[in-house]
Amino acid sequence: MGSLRAFGVSLCGDKERADDLVQETLFKAWNHLDSFKEGTNLKAWLFTILRNTYFSERRKRRREVEDADGSYAARLATHPAQHGHMDMQDFRAALVRIPDDQREALILVGAAGFSYEEAAEICGCAVGTIKSRVNRARNRLAGMLGLEELDNDSASEGLSKTA
Amino acid sequence: MPGVSKKMDHAVENGAAGTSGETQGAGPDNGLTPTLQAHIGRHVRAVFDEVAREPIPEHLLRLLKDLEQSGDK
Repeated sequence: MGSLRAFGVSLCGDKERADDLVQETLFKAWNHLDSFKEGTNLKAWLFTILRNTYFSERRKRRREVEDADGSYAARLATHPAQHGHMDMQDFRAALVRIPDDQREALILVGAAGFSYEEAAEICGCAVGTIKSRVNRARNRLAGMLGLEELDNDSASEGLSKTA
Repeated sequence: MPGVSKKMDHAVENGAAGTSGETQGAGPDNGLTPTLQAHIGRHVRAVFDEVAREPIPEHLLRLLKDLEQSGDK
C-alpha cells in the first residue's frame, strides 16, 4: 500500500489528497472485486483504479479551475533548495514540471517496479507509447537539470545547474 | 523548457520510439548514456521510495481492516 500511496503523491503532488485517492481506490476495489480476474496482477489493478480516479476527478476539476497544473507545479517547486540536498530538491522540482503522462510512465516503470507492458495496461495505452513517454521524461529531466553536459563525466555531481 | 520541442515530442509519439530498447531503455532512442539514465533512475526511485516507506496513515489501515472483516462474512 505504501507504493500505491507514493504513486498517488506523484500524480497529485499532495499527500492528503493522495490519501483520499488511496481510500477511494480501496473502496472501489472492494466494491468491484468481482471484476478482478483471479490470477492477474492485483497491484496493477489497484494502480489502474487509482490513476483513473485521479484523472477523472481532475477532468471535472479542470473545468472549474483552469490552471490546475500551474499551481500544482508552483506549490511543489517553491521549496527552497537546502544545502546538501540540493540535488534531490532540484530533481523533485524538475519532476513535477514534466507533463503528467510522462511523469506517470517514468514512475510506474522506473520506481514502482512495473514492466512496460504492465504500465501500458495501467495507463490504457500502447507499450510503445509508454516507452516513448519514459524516454521523453528522461530527456526532459536531463535537459531541465543541465545534465547533458555532464554526460560521460560523473553525472552525480553538479546537479545544481538548473536550466 | 529547453531541450525538447513540441514538434519532436509528436514525432516520437507517432512511432519513432517503441522499436528498440527493452527494460532499462538503454536503447539509442533517447540519446542519453547509460550512466545518465542510471543517475536519473536513482533519483526517481529515491523520490518515490521516500514516500512509499512512510508509515501508512492510521485511518487507511483501519479501513483496510474493516474491509477485510466485512469480506469474511
